[in-house]
Amino acid sequence: MAPAVEALAARADQQRQTGDYAGAAATLERALRIEPRQAYLWNRLARVRLEQGQGTQASNLAARSNALAGAQPELKQNNWDIIATIRRQSGDIEGAVEAERRAAGG
Amino acid sequence: MPKQIKRHPRPARRRRPPKEGIGFVGFAVRALVLVVLGAGLAAGLYGIHLDKVVRAKFEGKRWALPARVYARPLEIYTGRSLSVAELEGELGRLGYRDDPQLARPGTYHIQGERAAIRTRAFRYWDGYEPERYLSVDLSGGMVRDVADGGDATPLALVRLDPALIASIYPTHNEDRVLLRREQLPPRLVKTLLAVEDRKFYQHHGVDPKGILRAAYENLRAGRTVQGASTLTQQLVKNFYLTQERTLERKLNEAYMAVLLDRRYDKDEILTAYANEVYLGQDGNRAIHGFGLASRFYFKRDIDELDIPQTAMLVGILKGPSELNPFRKPERVTERRNLVIDLMAHHRIISKAEAEQAKQAPLGVVEGGARPSGEYPAFIQLVRRQLRRDYREEDLRSEGLRIFTTLDPLTQAHVEAAVRARLPKLDRTRRLPAGTLETAAVVTSVAQGEVLAVVGGRDPEYAGFNRALDAVRPIGSLIKPVIYLKALSQPQRYSLVTPIQDKPVNLRVAGVMWRPKNYDHSVHGTVPLYRALVKSYNLATVNLGLDLGVSEVAAFLRDLGAVRDIDAVPAMLLGSVSLPPVEVAQAYQTIAAGGFRAPLRAIREVLDASGRPLNRYPLAVESVVPAEAAYLTQWAMRRVVTQGTATWLNKRLPSGLTVAGKTGTTNDMRDSWFAGFSGDKVVVSWVGRDDNKPMGLSGSTGALRVWGDIMASLDTQPLDAGAPDGVVASGACGQRVPYIDGYAGSACGGGGGRSSAPAVAAQAGAGAAAPADPVVAQDAGRAAAPPPRSRQERKDRTQQREVSPFLSDFYGN
Repeated sequence: MAPAVEALAARADQQRQTGDYAGAAATLERALRIEPRQAYLWNRLARVRLEQGQGTQASNLAARSNALAGAQPELKQNNWDIIATIRRQSGDIEGAVEAERRAAGG
Repeated sequence: MPKQIKRHPRPARRRRPPKEGIGFVGFAVRALVLVVLGAGLAAGLYGIHLDKVVRAKFEGKRWALPARVYARPLEIYTGRSLSVAELEGELGRLGYRDDPQLARPGTYHIQGERAAIRTRAFRYWDGYEPERYLSVDLSGGMVRDVADGGDATPLALVRLDPALIASIYPTHNEDRVLLRREQLPPRLVKTLLAVEDRKFYQHHGVDPKGILRAAYENLRAGRTVQGASTLTQQLVKNFYLTQERTLERKLNEAYMAVLLDRRYDKDEILTAYANEVYLGQDGNRAIHGFGLASRFYFKRDIDELDIPQTAMLVGILKGPSELNPFRKPERVTERRNLVIDLMAHHRIISKAEAEQAKQAPLGVVEGGARPSGEYPAFIQLVRRQLRRDYREEDLRSEGLRIFTTLDPLTQAHVEAAVRARLPKLDRTRRLPAGTLETAAVVTSVAQGEVLAVVGGRDPEYAGFNRALDAVRPIGSLIKPVIYLKALSQPQRYSLVTPIQDKPVNLRVAGVMWRPKNYDHSVHGTVPLYRALVKSYNLATVNLGLDLGVSEVAAFLRDLGAVRDIDAVPAMLLGSVSLPPVEVAQAYQTIAAGGFRAPLRAIREVLDASGRPLNRYPLAVESVVPAEAAYLTQWAMRRVVTQGTATWLNKRLPSGLTVAGKTGTTNDMRDSWFAGFSGDKVVVSWVGRDDNKPMGLSGSTGALRVWGDIMASLDTQPLDAGAPDGVVASGACGQRVPYIDGYAGSACGGGGGRSSAPAVAAQAGAGAAAPADPVVAQDAGRAAAPPPRSRQERKDRTQQREVSPFLSDFYGN
């Protein structure tokens, strides 16, 4: 990642940890304008939306991250973990089990 | 040290001034008071009424503040593409001034390829950008390095303040830059009081001696020659909308001034006056208040004004219509110098300063405090997005601050491309200059942010916005939608699935429909991808009929078309009409690997105090599998390398991989190109407003505009990397990718047929012939059945207010 993107990602993480989700999301959007194909940033945005309780967006963003993740198995597992959580919350047990399998690296 | 004007703020002005004040006034007023008292209850009620009016005016919505619209802020970071010219352009839009000393915020100096900037502080809703000294190395059109101008600490990222691109004015076209009391420069205040109201801090709202003096003078002259209004009275006068001068009105004003003075602090009144006073006119926009006037006349903030400038502002407020510095510089200079003398007389400035100040030119500049007005097409888009969420009156009065996605650098490139290309296109068709019209939209791929909009060949003309409102048949731009629909069913279709390019005879509402390929040839069985690359009509119709016309129509809506689509077979060849902005949405979805991001022109709206009212955050929705989107992109890349858009190979820098599709409609009435690089979607349209044929196909018209735009943008090549689940295969002698787990290696039966004859046939079709197939309906008889067309037109009328922003999944 470019230093600018790294700085923004770090800032977004701080914002997220202090509960400033809207700020964290805005910061990640700034980073994505610089590196729109950076799967890690999409994953962070998915995580922020998950913690905000915006399940659908979290799931969509995690899927977007997966589509760009290429050879980053850990990132993909993290995305599947987000997707699994959302599926379980929405009562899609079968889908959640499948996502959990992939989150576990299966 | 100039003498201070004595202040007696009187913290508790609780005495009842009417009685005492009137004691100063002559017999006439005393008699009036007696009459009023005599009237008893009625007069009391009237006083209460006036008091209410005063309070309502003063405390209520005293100032309708226009909404301010900003472009995206420029982010400066190592590695971004940014030329010296682009940076200077941006700083110019921000009103930064070249100053080697960097004496104040908002200055810069460029030497060679190194820029020194002293930024302005700006509070964004998500963070504060402090004022900074920057040193930026722009060698070779790229930010090599950005560091603190003082201690050379490298900076990862700096966000400049955003350029003001428009103001949405209150109903009476008032504009204002609101100031607080402490922002009023002492020199301005002293001068104002010296000239207009020397006893401001002493009197009770009216200045009885002044009134008597004025009355005497006016009586002597037989007309009004002198006013004696205090600042308070002048402020009250502004509460009225008319300027009539009657005795009744005068008395009301005086009474209200007294009430105002009783109720409010002198400084509050002074501040209100400074923000309210009428100081000039800019077209139909009234210039109210010193804050705006300072920017309007001098392009400076109020605290940057020098002595002659201060004197001029105070000088003209007596009668801004007559004392117009642009029209009557001599009169205004005379008046200004009178004020300067007064300043010296009251020791606000020294004699020497006064003499020097009187020598200075007026120094007014044209075009100050005016939002550029340069982006009418984009602003229209912004207003439509706003209209969905705000009442018009709030937009005009609440001082909202609207942060948009407009990228002025991108917009400048698009405008330059349009300006240069359209005259050439006119000439190639021997059309009178100005015949052809155009529209272009640029968005980001991943976010769906609208970066630039051009609504016509004169981008500064705020008329018919073709980017949003030219709802025209899209021709072959529909084809990627149909092929994507097919490829998202991998159990049925791969890139090499044999498709029949054979004649179709279809009875539609009692009329035979016999579409044709452009060159009237028939290619037999062809692999699916080639039918798209070569834009074969018959193959596309056969494929579309297999998929189902209504399914294709519904899918076009999934991708981003907003309006209702008439699901007739002719739709498969692009009889469906869309404006460029909706085409951009559909192509954004394809470009982003099937993830639709609703197009946005606004990032957030803040209230006057900077709190977010509405955010329009990045949201995505997967509407088609990434694998299918990738395969479609793969075929669309070949439109450029070997299909109808090969012209781009000469036009674009090598290495800039792009994908797209040409579109041409019946008799060459519409010329389209829509496509994308790795990070930008661009849609361009060329045609005539009278909808007459113009002799340009997608390849010879819109493609040229598109290529010029894409070649000038800061953009990334389309990434050829396939997503998981896609594998390359060796079918048909090419590496044609397919979706893992599904058959895709079988070649189309007729796929062995070389593409060369088809190209030759197209090339041989004559100079006026497009290399791109048109909607192959025979004129008249074989066109889409008339009853449906009428229906479509009706739907279109009903859908006129359709917004591209109807998407319902904006989270926050």
